[in-house]
Amino acid sequence: MSFLERQLEDPVRFARIKRGFYVFLAVVIAAEIVLPLVFPGDPHHLGFESFPAFGSLYGLISCVAIIVLSKLIGVVWLMKREDHYDD
Amino acid sequence: MTIEWVHPGLLLIFGAWVIPFLKGPLKRVAMLAIPSAALIVCILMDQGTHGVVSVAGQKLVFGRVDDLSLIFSYVFSIIALVGMVYALHVDDDTQHVSALIYAGAALGVTFAGDFLSLYIFWELMAISSVFLVWRRRDRSAVAAGFRYLLVHVVGGLFLLAGIVIQWSQTGSFEFVDLEGSVGTVGWAFILVAFLVNAAVPPFSAWLPDAYPEATVTGAVFMTAFTTKSAVYCLIRGFPGTDLLIWLGAAMALYGVVYAVLENDARRLLAYHIISQVGYMVCGVGIGTELALNGASAHAFAHILYKALLFMGAGAVMQVTGRRKLTEMGGLYKTMPITLGLYMIGAFAISAVPLFSGFVSKSMIVSAAGEEHLSGIFLALTLASAGTFLHTGLKLPYYMFFGKDSGVRAQEPPRNMLVAMALAAVACTVIGVFPSLLYDHLPFDAERLDAHPGSAHGSWKTEYPAGQEAEYSPYTLGHVTATLGMLAFTAWGFFLLLKHLDPKPTISLDTDWFYRRGTGLVARLLGPLAHLERNFIGEIYESVIRRPVLGLAHLVGRFERTVVDRAVAAVGRWTQSLSGVLKTMASGHAQHYALIMAAGLLVLLALAVMSL
Repeated sequence: MSFLERQLEDPVRFARIKRGFYVFLAVVIAAEIVLPLVFPGDPHHLGFESFPAFGSLYGLISCVAIIVLSKLIGVVWLMKREDHYDD
Repeated sequence: MTIEWVHPGLLLIFGAWVIPFLKGPLKRVAMLAIPSAALIVCILMDQGTHGVVSVAGQKLVFGRVDDLSLIFSYVFSIIALVGMVYALHVDDDTQHVSALIYAGAALGVTFAGDFLSLYIFWELMAISSVFLVWRRRDRSAVAAGFRYLLVHVVGGLFLLAGIVIQWSQTGSFEFVDLEGSVGTVGWAFILVAFLVNAAVPPFSAWLPDAYPEATVTGAVFMTAFTTKSAVYCLIRGFPGTDLLIWLGAAMALYGVVYAVLENDARRLLAYHIISQVGYMVCGVGIGTELALNGASAHAFAHILYKALLFMGAGAVMQVTGRRKLTEMGGLYKTMPITLGLYMIGAFAISAVPLFSGFVSKSMIVSAAGEEHLSGIFLALTLASAGTFLHTGLKLPYYMFFGKDSGVRAQEPPRNMLVAMALAAVACTVIGVFPSLLYDHLPFDAERLDAHPGSAHGSWKTEYPAGQEAEYSPYTLGHVTATLGMLAFTAWGFFLLLKHLDPKPTISLDTDWFYRRGTGLVARLLGPLAHLERNFIGEIYESVIRRPVLGLAHLVGRFERTVVDRAVAAVGRWTQSLSGVLKTMASGHAQHYALIMAAGLLVLLALAVMSL
């Protein structure tokens, strides 16, 4: 059993990875809010870029929007059976 | 053409024909030596205008060498070499020859200084690349190849028509910024031809149709040349064309939407080519020096990481024989090296800091910000999240992790891994040391000279001081915002995971119009066809068919009476001559020696007599 396999198959270790991921999320969003206050001077050309944690929030919104809207378009219109062009 | 200047494209195009005549290790040496030679020629090349040929009063420029053509030529020859390493194990000369010709034609487009030589290489690209699709020899591959060719032939005709119209109006074939002809028919036709090759919707369906049908190794070459040479042509001919900003942003999103729905691994990646080329097209449209530099840098980085991704997906296809995400899963246990190398490509395309996409894509997004194009900025950032979502999360999750499909594969042949490693190293090095790439960017405080009268490839400073592209991607704000975006996209992915399970479906795209629409057209044209059969058919019968048949009959009789008899007579004569020669050819060495000695004597006698 390889290292990667052990990490993913063992529930205890997997839970540890999951916790680590949530800690990472918290650190990232905190860094995005705090660091610009400590080290100002990053050039921003658009107003919303300086909104606290803009990157994190927009990333989450983007991800959800892409999945939901694409699936909607796909189910209603674009997705066809694999033999659609075969006859 | 002077001897001092060797065209690297022609080197590939003619060099390729050596490969079928070689065998074993020698063949493999040639497969690597030819693209290496082209790369070295590109690196050593002097800037300026080379290879000027006059044909029928027109000046063809085969070698316009400046910063812009050089940076594209570097990456084209690098990827030709990497692709050949990836294909070393393949025993199919047709593929090797057509891949090298394809690469050579892309270099030809890059160095073309006039529209006529551009057109020649443009068509050669389409014709050579279609073999990379056909050589999979599957029924679906052959059909997709024909559709691919159909689209590119139409695109080529647009280019030719545009060139001719442009020439009739300006009297010049020179390939420069077409700013002076904005809105003319020639300008529009040339733009459409470039947009077809850049796969801009609605002219984009050929790409996700054909690329996943290509051979495992052929697809790697295809990802590099056609779309990126079109981006090069757009930078050269259409910088600052507003239309391209919106087309590019729409394109970036279009690829993302289709990638959600896609089940075929390589087709998902193909949709992301469209998305990524969207950034470049958008950059060309914005047209500031930062944006144009960004488009060039992103093309460079994109060719490397997209080839790496296609190589990873191709390796899985090679060893498992499967291409659909619904049939894969659990491969990380037996293919960890492939997984690791693929993930480097995925991080690069997702613009993770320290990988190449981060330093190139952000130039275009920042350029949109600098120009206060908030809608474009948001659209491109949204597409960025989508890129990570699909290429960095969905594809590896369902291919390598996810539900174990029970497939027990092994790592691909070593040369494939080496090729992937080469591309992975390039992606990382560019990400860590961006100045290696930035130093070669074309628009360093200078701008492409738009005036046709001046010398080829001269660059002129037009920007006021203080506006140079002194661009640095690794600012604190940029890194934290990017990490935040990526991390929370990943969170969203795991939250919505069950909605992302791939379905065994295909998606409608604009290729519907030529795959299904033709049936509709046929029905609409039914009455016309009836007319054609009855009325035009009759005219055709009496005006064309009968005279032609009569003429053919005459020719046939001439053939039978005169040509046949002449051939028969020659044959009889040859036969009798060979009867005589037969008696001389005894097979005994001493007889031959005797005849040779006699001949020598006669020669000596003749020589002596003539003295």
